[in-house]
Amino acid sequence: MPHKCTKCGREYKDGSTEILKGCESCGGKKFLFVKEEELNRDVLEEKTIDEIAEESHEEVLEVVDSDKAPKQVEMYDRVETIRIVSPGSYELNLERMAQSDERIVSVGKEGSYIIDLMSMAKEEPKKKGRKR
Amino acid sequence: MKIFYQTFGTVKKKFTGLLNRFFKKKRTRIGIYGPPNAGKTTLANRIARDWTGDAVGPVSEIPHETRRARKKEDIIISGANGNTVVMDIVDTPGVTTKIDYHEFLEFGMEKDEAIIRAREATEGVAEAMHWLREDIDGVIYMLDSTVDPFMQVNIMMIGIIEARNLPVIIVANKIDLPDAAPARIRSAFPQHPVVAISGREGKNVEDLYEMMLEYFG
Repeated sequence: MPHKCTKCGREYKDGSTEILKGCESCGGKKFLFVKEEELNRDVLEEKTIDEIAEESHEEVLEVVDSDKAPKQVEMYDRVETIRIVSPGSYELNLERMAQSDERIVSVGKEGSYIIDLMSMAKEEPKKKGRKR
Repeated sequence: MKIFYQTFGTVKKKFTGLLNRFFKKKRTRIGIYGPPNAGKTTLANRIARDWTGDAVGPVSEIPHETRRARKKEDIIISGANGNTVVMDIVDTPGVTTKIDYHEFLEFGMEKDEAIIRAREATEGVAEAMHWLREDIDGVIYMLDSTVDPFMQVNIMMIGIIEARNLPVIIVANKIDLPDAAPARIRSAFPQHPVVAISGREGKNVEDLYEMMLEYFG
């Protein structure tokens, strides 16, 4: 089914990637799915697209600007082993702690790190060789 | 027939591998280490350019430009007396104990970009240390000779390198700058060979190459 911009009514083909950046004509961020045969109903019946949306019970799609909302880095993606959220409040990254002895401490919200070089200089614990 | 060539190919590969193992000397892998902005990539580029004609990576005045280790293989360095040594050069991210995105903001960087740079730089330190632990046979430790060498990081890193029994050459870089004081670096690390160069202008790099032949050859 094609999409229609709810603001200006411009049509976009089904699955078009252009709408991800917003409507090319008016910059609108909301789009409605319309049936092929009802594509021109808004003009013919002199209705707004919002009215058609109500009648057809189709969901209005809203394009979210991905650049403006920075993704929250998931715990397992974090580089630090210990995060000092505020004085006396800590978050421990157990996954990283289990993987290695490296200790990177992050201070505050983001982008500030203290690195323990000595923890990184240590030899990895050697696996016991199977001797017979 | 095709199968014959394929098996012949793999047998040949295995055989040359075996020959190499017996007759060819193992290449030495030299890591260029040092604090951020000491001129590690500039030196790596110069070495690569002087001996192979290639470059290793981009340089910038903003610290932590190199956030992944870069390797340049099979660099053949020859000295005045005809000695040659084959080495791999690993240009590593600057090693430091503290990274804060605020320092990048001063260079006009956007906040989001600076935060990502700080994160990548932190991973870079871990990578540099990983190389040092696993796969380095000798170290060129770069220092900016306009900066006080008695920083905690330098003392700690030299200590770590010594503990691993790796040969090390300390390079006092940026002697083309007016307030360079390479003597300060010499007195800070009297137990190791120190060579004063300008990686950017190429001053005294021949001395460094001779020293590399002597200590890493």
